[in-house]
Amino acid sequence: MNALPNPFAQRAVRGDGALAAPVAGGDQLARRLARRYADRITGSFVQPGREGRYAPLPGDMPATLVQALRSRGIEQLYDHQAQAWNATAAGKHVVIATPTASGKSLCYTLPVISAAIRQRAKALFLFPTKALAQDQVAELLELNQAGELGVKAFTFDGDTPGDARQAIRLHGDIVVSNPDMLHQAILPHHTKWAQFFENLRYVVIDEVHTYRGVFGSHVANVLRRLQRVCAFYGVTPQFILCSATIGNPAEHASALIEQAVTAITDSGAPVGEKHVLLWNPPVVNPDLGLRASARSQSNRIARTAIRAGLKTLVFAQSRLMVEVLTKYLKDVFDNDPRKPPRIRAYRGGYLPTERRAAEREMRAGQVDGIVSTSALELGVDIGALDVVVLNGYPGSVAATWQRFGRAGRRQQASLGVLVASSDPLDQYLVRHPEFFQGAPPEHARIAPDQPLILLDHIRCAAFELPFRLGELFGMQDATPWLQVLAEEGVLHQEGERFEWIADSYPANAVSLRSVADGNFVVVDRTNGRQTIIAEVDYSAAALTLYEGAIHMVQSTPYQVEKLDWEGRKAYVTRTQADYYTDAIDYTKLKVLEAFDGSPAGAGSTHHGEVHVARRVAGYKKIRYYTHENIGYGPVNLPDLELHTTAVWWQLPQRALDQAFDHRQQALDGFLAAAHALHIVATVAVMAEARDLQKAVGSGDGAWFATPDANGRAQLRTSLGETDAVTQGPFVPTLYLYDAFPGGVGLSAPLYERREDLVRLARELVLRCDCRAGCPACVGPVLAADEHGDAPLKSLATRVLDLIVAL
Amino acid sequence: MSALADKLRGLRRQAGVQAPAPATVRRPEPMPDNLRALLGVRRRTDRAPVRASEPTPLPGQTIAPGLQLSETRCAWPPSPGRFHAGFARIDADIEPERLLLFDTETTGLAGGTGTRAFMIGVADWHKGQFRERQLLISTLAGEAAMLDCFVSWLRPDTVLVSYNGKSYDAPLLKTRLRLHRRESPLDGLAHIDLLHPVRRRWRGVWENCRLATVERQLLRVVREDDLPGAEAPAAWLGFLRGGSAAALHRVARHNSQDLRSLGGILAHFTQACD
Repeated sequence: MNALPNPFAQRAVRGDGALAAPVAGGDQLARRLARRYADRITGSFVQPGREGRYAPLPGDMPATLVQALRSRGIEQLYDHQAQAWNATAAGKHVVIATPTASGKSLCYTLPVISAAIRQRAKALFLFPTKALAQDQVAELLELNQAGELGVKAFTFDGDTPGDARQAIRLHGDIVVSNPDMLHQAILPHHTKWAQFFENLRYVVIDEVHTYRGVFGSHVANVLRRLQRVCAFYGVTPQFILCSATIGNPAEHASALIEQAVTAITDSGAPVGEKHVLLWNPPVVNPDLGLRASARSQSNRIARTAIRAGLKTLVFAQSRLMVEVLTKYLKDVFDNDPRKPPRIRAYRGGYLPTERRAAEREMRAGQVDGIVSTSALELGVDIGALDVVVLNGYPGSVAATWQRFGRAGRRQQASLGVLVASSDPLDQYLVRHPEFFQGAPPEHARIAPDQPLILLDHIRCAAFELPFRLGELFGMQDATPWLQVLAEEGVLHQEGERFEWIADSYPANAVSLRSVADGNFVVVDRTNGRQTIIAEVDYSAAALTLYEGAIHMVQSTPYQVEKLDWEGRKAYVTRTQADYYTDAIDYTKLKVLEAFDGSPAGAGSTHHGEVHVARRVAGYKKIRYYTHENIGYGPVNLPDLELHTTAVWWQLPQRALDQAFDHRQQALDGFLAAAHALHIVATVAVMAEARDLQKAVGSGDGAWFATPDANGRAQLRTSLGETDAVTQGPFVPTLYLYDAFPGGVGLSAPLYERREDLVRLARELVLRCDCRAGCPACVGPVLAADEHGDAPLKSLATRVLDLIVAL
Repeated sequence: MSALADKLRGLRRQAGVQAPAPATVRRPEPMPDNLRALLGVRRRTDRAPVRASEPTPLPGQTIAPGLQLSETRCAWPPSPGRFHAGFARIDADIEPERLLLFDTETTGLAGGTGTRAFMIGVADWHKGQFRERQLLISTLAGEAAMLDCFVSWLRPDTVLVSYNGKSYDAPLLKTRLRLHRRESPLDGLAHIDLLHPVRRRWRGVWENCRLATVERQLLRVVREDDLPGAEAPAAWLGFLRGGSAAALHRVARHNSQDLRSLGGILAHFTQACD
């Protein structure tokens, strides 16, 4: 977009040697960095640029809209925008999954505005965040002004004043909101929106890749409710969805709206060449395997890029890190107070006006370096950039590409650098560039029929409109659920109808981001604050919020001072402790029912329903970097019980006897293999590490194994203190289970990819740089164990070799 | 009961949700204090109360399936006569025949599409008397007929009179009409919501401007055996779930007093204008 020579390139010339000399683009910088820091760059590849493919403005577009586009300099469309126009004109539901900055918003703006001009048809836009919604309205207003189209677009969110709401409901042609508002404010008051719904023609849902897992499962149910309310008003709106690049856009979009969707995935927008570097900080202490911090590296790369005259964006994982990196860069570039600042921070927590100002300055090219959290990840328009630096892996391949997509100009190469932190996932990725390069983007998954989520939304739906006996909600008969709600007293059955009868507003009790409402809130009491900084699912509370726990919130360590179990609150303060804590949990699993099974090497793999009983018996304090165990603490909390789904692997006793000298070795191997499989599985299903748990035990629930103080497996038969010798056959089982009651659909995709997972876990262990084992592969290993005859690493490999596909 | 219910209960417990108490457990009907006193005497004699076992009939006459209508007339409050509605910021002279006072009893205060009116009380000055008509539904299916009946009492020149009805009762009835796919004539009608002139006049003078406060301070009305408004939903729900209709009579008396107070407050403002 911005093909002019960079005016700031001049002032970057300083006496810093060759590295600071201005460069034409990201390609030159990439080459320069590769020469200078070859030992830190573990992977380097180039995505070729591509010419744009264009199509004329459609002939069937209203003349005033054509005029408006022309006056904004748009004389033709990209090929994918024209495809989207044709597909929507043909009445199809559409999902557009093209890279960042490929002009996705025109794909839905054009049909929506055309319909508003021609038939005064209405449209509902849903964005995951308020900031995005405001951007979109600003863009719509500009286009509207340019062509004097008379189309009224408004945001409707928690900040919308009460007196404006009535006008928006009656006069808004385009209402821009978010799933939470739809869930809590619009649908439960749909009669106030009657006029809007009666004329609703399009529902636009942007950034659908963010609607996955628990959140996505809730959103799918909110959309079921939306479609149910639409049916009441006699309309069947057309859906236009947009997504960043994910592995399954059509399938995911179709799962969200439960209708067939046409996918448009081939972008016609021109892109410049894109260089990607994977960067591992240098080893600073070879004895301990300590590496320099990612922060120091990100700072160095950003400094070099800005000096070379390239517009640079650094993504940091936490707000604190944003502030630290901003300070480092400001110290270098903003030391003259008379000049306008060249470095800006951008994160959540700033006032909307501050953020708008930052965005304007960035678009106008007044800023040379931006440091941001993921707040900038989603579609906020900040103009063209040359270099993106990721301070740590964002958690998925898709998110990494989306952030890299922030850099890119039409005629100039751009550069993306991923700087690995010491986190096992980061280390895994940066050491396996081929995984990253060749990996298809992750699949987004949802489980809209998760029983607790479904019950919550049938409850909300019954509040909105009565149910008829036998009515479908989504794909299934709602009747048994309605009977449960009638037993609870919130519904009353009269003849064929179930009607809402309680004096409550159910949507207020349903958070779209958790399963059921037993969540704990984390309250920060540092320096007299009393603010909620996080929410933790009930099932994870005992593992992460026990008194004494070091609890990380956005990479910032807090220590739990007090846990109010009944009140569901954990009180924490900021801490500078040099250790982290790890719960010692006794987890006993029992297979209730196998849904499916198949051979896995010499053993077998299954997925199905399991019963989990878990007790947190205490916790370990582990020093950062050295992973020394420096102490213990007691935990006294209620046992957790969980019915959920799992994938598990088993080996017959005969195979074990051949591979291992004794049972202890086999169990050690299973625990170590579980660690590695858990790492790769978390990556594979785009899960948070704590949403997917691992365990080793007997398939019949007779015993389970946990690591003891030395990291060696200890066999237990009950959650209590006493251990006993087991009877019967010895069939160790390695479980990966979904940590939510009822499951949220993590185990089915894991089962589908079972062979990949074992193969990847095996490669992870074999190719790890450590000698005997480390947190990045089979779990922490004590120094004393490193020279043993059967290190964990080799035991894990033996297990994985036995279950890998032949 | 069902396997699904059991499973869901289990999963919710695992998710840390405190189990909701089953609402179907019926509590014994609360009895008026005077009756309890009488029964207390009998109880001491160890004889079963004879009258308590007879089912209490619903208030009013059944005029459609699931719909009861009660009608009463009384002399107080007197008709205000023709008045200028400037106190309600309506610049018009109003004939008392056009006035329709209304007040609803609802299943709760949660708002949204899930709250309904189970009773609509309406009053006007008819042939020189204060006429009250109360519609009460005894089944959910009676709601449509209740709304139709209420709407049939409205004329294009009707002036509604309410207490907080602009923000509460009217939008709620509009929502119910919409859910029953009926046009709402309420929007087009003039509406005197007495809460607003009361607030303009007495805010900061009285501890609050609730109807009960206005009654006490302005009209010197003393409520007798009043069922607090907040207990009305439970009274109706109890009946709907197979309980006694006794408490519904108290709801009806409460609603009736609200209507008479509306008339009294209106009279106060119209006299002040003279």
